[in-house]
Amino acid sequence: MRRLGLDFIRRLEWSGLLAAGLLVAVGIAFLFSAGFRGDGRPIMGYYERQLGWAAIGCVLYMVFAGLDYRIWIRWAWWIYLLALALLLLVFVPGLGVRTYGATRWIELAGIRMQPSEVMKIALILALARLFGSRTRDPRQARHVVAALALTALPMAVVIKQPDLGTALIFPPLALAVMFAAGVPGRYLARLIGIGLLLAAVLAGFTVAPHMLGLDQATQDRLSAMVGIEGYQRDRLLVFFDSSLDPLGAGWNKAQSQIAIGSGRMWGKGYMNGQQNLLGFLPRTVAPTDFIYAVIGEETGFAGSLALLFLFSMLLLSLLRIAGDSPDKYGAVLCVGVASMLFCHVFINIAMTAGLMPITGVPLPLVSYGGTFMVGIMSALGMAQSVHVRKIRSENFQP
Amino acid sequence: MSLGETELLRLRLLGIMMFLAAFVLLCFLWKLQVREGVKYADSHERQSVRRVRIPAMRGRIYDRNGACLADNRANYCVSVYLEELWTMGRGMSTIAKVSAIVNEISALTGAPAQVTSRQIEEHLRLRKPLPLVLWRNADERMLARIAEAGARLPGVAITVEPVRRYPLGSLAAHVLGYVGRSDLSGEEETRDYHYYLPEIAGKQGLERRFDRLLAGQAGGSLVQIDVSGFQREELGVRPPVPGGDLLLALDARIQGAAERALGDFAGAAVVIDPRSGDVLALASSPAFDLNLFCPSISRSEFAALVENRLRPLYNRAALGVYPPGSIFKPVVLIAALESGRLRPDDVFDCPGYFHLGNRSFACFLSIAHGAVDYRRAIEVSCNVFFYRAGLATGYEPIRRAAGALGLGRKTGIEIDESGGLVPDAEWKRRQYNAPWVDGDTCNVAIGQGALGVTPLQMACAAAAIANGGALYQPRLVIGERAANETGFRMAPPRLARRMGWSAENTRRLREAMRDVIHSPSGSGRLAAIEGVEMAGKTGTAEYGRKADGRKHGWMIVFAPFDRPRYAAAMMLDDAQTGGSSVGPRIHDLMAQVFALEKEREN
Repeated sequence: MRRLGLDFIRRLEWSGLLAAGLLVAVGIAFLFSAGFRGDGRPIMGYYERQLGWAAIGCVLYMVFAGLDYRIWIRWAWWIYLLALALLLLVFVPGLGVRTYGATRWIELAGIRMQPSEVMKIALILALARLFGSRTRDPRQARHVVAALALTALPMAVVIKQPDLGTALIFPPLALAVMFAAGVPGRYLARLIGIGLLLAAVLAGFTVAPHMLGLDQATQDRLSAMVGIEGYQRDRLLVFFDSSLDPLGAGWNKAQSQIAIGSGRMWGKGYMNGQQNLLGFLPRTVAPTDFIYAVIGEETGFAGSLALLFLFSMLLLSLLRIAGDSPDKYGAVLCVGVASMLFCHVFINIAMTAGLMPITGVPLPLVSYGGTFMVGIMSALGMAQSVHVRKIRSENFQP
Repeated sequence: MSLGETELLRLRLLGIMMFLAAFVLLCFLWKLQVREGVKYADSHERQSVRRVRIPAMRGRIYDRNGACLADNRANYCVSVYLEELWTMGRGMSTIAKVSAIVNEISALTGAPAQVTSRQIEEHLRLRKPLPLVLWRNADERMLARIAEAGARLPGVAITVEPVRRYPLGSLAAHVLGYVGRSDLSGEEETRDYHYYLPEIAGKQGLERRFDRLLAGQAGGSLVQIDVSGFQREELGVRPPVPGGDLLLALDARIQGAAERALGDFAGAAVVIDPRSGDVLALASSPAFDLNLFCPSISRSEFAALVENRLRPLYNRAALGVYPPGSIFKPVVLIAALESGRLRPDDVFDCPGYFHLGNRSFACFLSIAHGAVDYRRAIEVSCNVFFYRAGLATGYEPIRRAAGALGLGRKTGIEIDESGGLVPDAEWKRRQYNAPWVDGDTCNVAIGQGALGVTPLQMACAAAAIANGGALYQPRLVIGERAANETGFRMAPPRLARRMGWSAENTRRLREAMRDVIHSPSGSGRLAAIEGVEMAGKTGTAEYGRKADGRKHGWMIVFAPFDRPRYAAAMMLDDAQTGGSSVGPRIHDLMAQVFALEKEREN
């Protein structure tokens, strides 16, 4: 530990840290812009609160980088169970907070948090524990089944909230981890097949009856069969087709597309986005899920390119750390973090630009949101911890 | 090293896949921002997407024969899309911009402004994305002027909203209730899809009780508009869900007959089918025109209704609690006969008064009826007989019989109602801190004292006596249907309870009540109609201070005697006696009811 303390700063992986820091800075700068309403009205306080969250995130980053990541691997099962319990607390009346028709938040001792964000990291740790062990052969089917169960359980809870956007992160995350861990391709192909089949069945009971024009009572009966209530189904429907909510999600989609498109090559300049300034982009979503629309309008394609470059830099550093990892636990952990980040970035930008259904997936490190910021920074800290310890490659048993 | 060959290879493959996906995203952004960017930049000059709300049609209400009691008409409005004003020039508040447009339209059409700045402010706060209605009920001339002005009025559009219409005006006003603007609380629970929440909500009567069925759900569409405000393309649509319909037990013609029979007098009348509990008419007088409330009632008109001394908004039939007077005597009689403490051949002497301790109770109109048996006592409404019968029976059986007939509790009808009161010892101790005494029993035995009933309850009790002892839960609604259904889903009648009276005693009571109408000396003889055997009971109940001498007039009837199809109760706020004041009106009502029945048969 003493040796590590002296070498700590020198051993840090700097490219990823730099990219993450720049992304957080970009985020705060554009939260400031998104909160600007012109006409001498005060700027909305998102950026201030985000600064606070970023500060907490930095501290946690350093703490997690300093601590041995293998501690978390050792406690992975308990962390997973704890996160799952938190996730279920959402449904406890009095604890769960309902916003915009979905229960995604819990309020404990005055602190609001989004347990699904914690769950993502807990799942990554559990998968790292499962596939990181050299004694477990990833070519054995039972490990694949275990990974499937670990992923499907929280996913089902998140779908029930209903938060389909967040649920969509889980399957590609698990697949990427299994792929990197060496699970044979034939299993992965089968998993993808089964996943598509399940999705088709779920859709058959919820979305398809509407698309086929069945009456309301039949629709209600069918979705009740798979345990989904009417209002939850309506949200799912809107997810697949925002035109079903033309005055809400449909409007957001159209406005964000106009915002990004009107940015053109070089953008309209910082603090100059008309869509945002005039409030066409609803102020409830501009700082969170639609922050990229503000960036796209004000900095144009050049800004989009730069943003994607920063994310690529971060992802590349994570994959490099995975390749150099002293043990397989660290490698799987880093691949998990990288996949989670990638899925968020891809889904968020694609939906904001109108390429995908409108979901509640934020842009990591950039969008406003406390739990998410703190969670991502902690995960990046763990990855850094893998890097810092790459020299000490003694055998490790959790 | 810790990672094997395959694992390193797969890591590299994963990186390549991520890079490819990012490249695809970048290509799409290039297309959106650089190649098609001009299109979006242009559409940006003027906000070009408009949110159009499509209101849901409120469900209709029909009477039992299919006559429409509530439907909708189209109302043309002049509205403004607030979001389209934002680009109009900076530094000016939206309220000022709206006011400028209102003034411009006013100058153009000569119509005085309808919206206040407070309303504009509230709209901005709660329903900003939806158009703000500047003028409701715009006439053709105004619409033409606005269409001509076109592009000079940014964001202004002509919109159509459905407005409630009650084709029969004031008919069954208290049953139907009325609608008004729904209040948007802005709770988190409802904020989700609040653009689709109904703007109109039932405020009274069936309109309120069945609001969920009737209201439906609004839809909306997202449309692309060009510079002059014409629609170019629909980007998405959510069709509205129309409200469902109600089928009432009410018969509009019988309802009309009841309202005509009451005339201008303050009072109430209820007609029930004793075979099912179907409420064929429920009238409260005076009534009010429901169309006053559509699309909205003016402050002065509403004040006039509220301040009217006769309280037209008050539903006397279901909410009004009145002492029943002598129409309660059939209840006392059946309780006394069933308890066995009054024998059918018991005869009491009526000298015109009755002494209890040092108190004296007068007989009805202080008439000395002489030797009176139960049958004569009902026929001429002799109080002295019932004082003595009541004391002989004791209070408990009377209280139980009244309770069994549904008095003293809510009937379960679909609109607001009162429960009334059947007092007991416990109630008296709580209220007056005094024990129940024989004087209380005497008072209740003639339907006075603290006893309170609604006309609806008495109609239900009359129906139960008519059909031989089955009390039905009265109902106004017999069927419902969703907007896409063709037939109504019919609900079966609901039997509340059976009285379990002996056939003998039931016959005795019913025959005594027939004498009330058909005997030459019967107190209700003025109600008799040609060719139909009827039975009933009159009542005159004192209320207010003794010195004022104010009396409610009552009558309950059922007909035809053998197999009753109608049971009715009528009450007048101020009457001479039940027989003289209410009798002729019951006659009018029942004569019309049977005339209508004959008409339908032909």
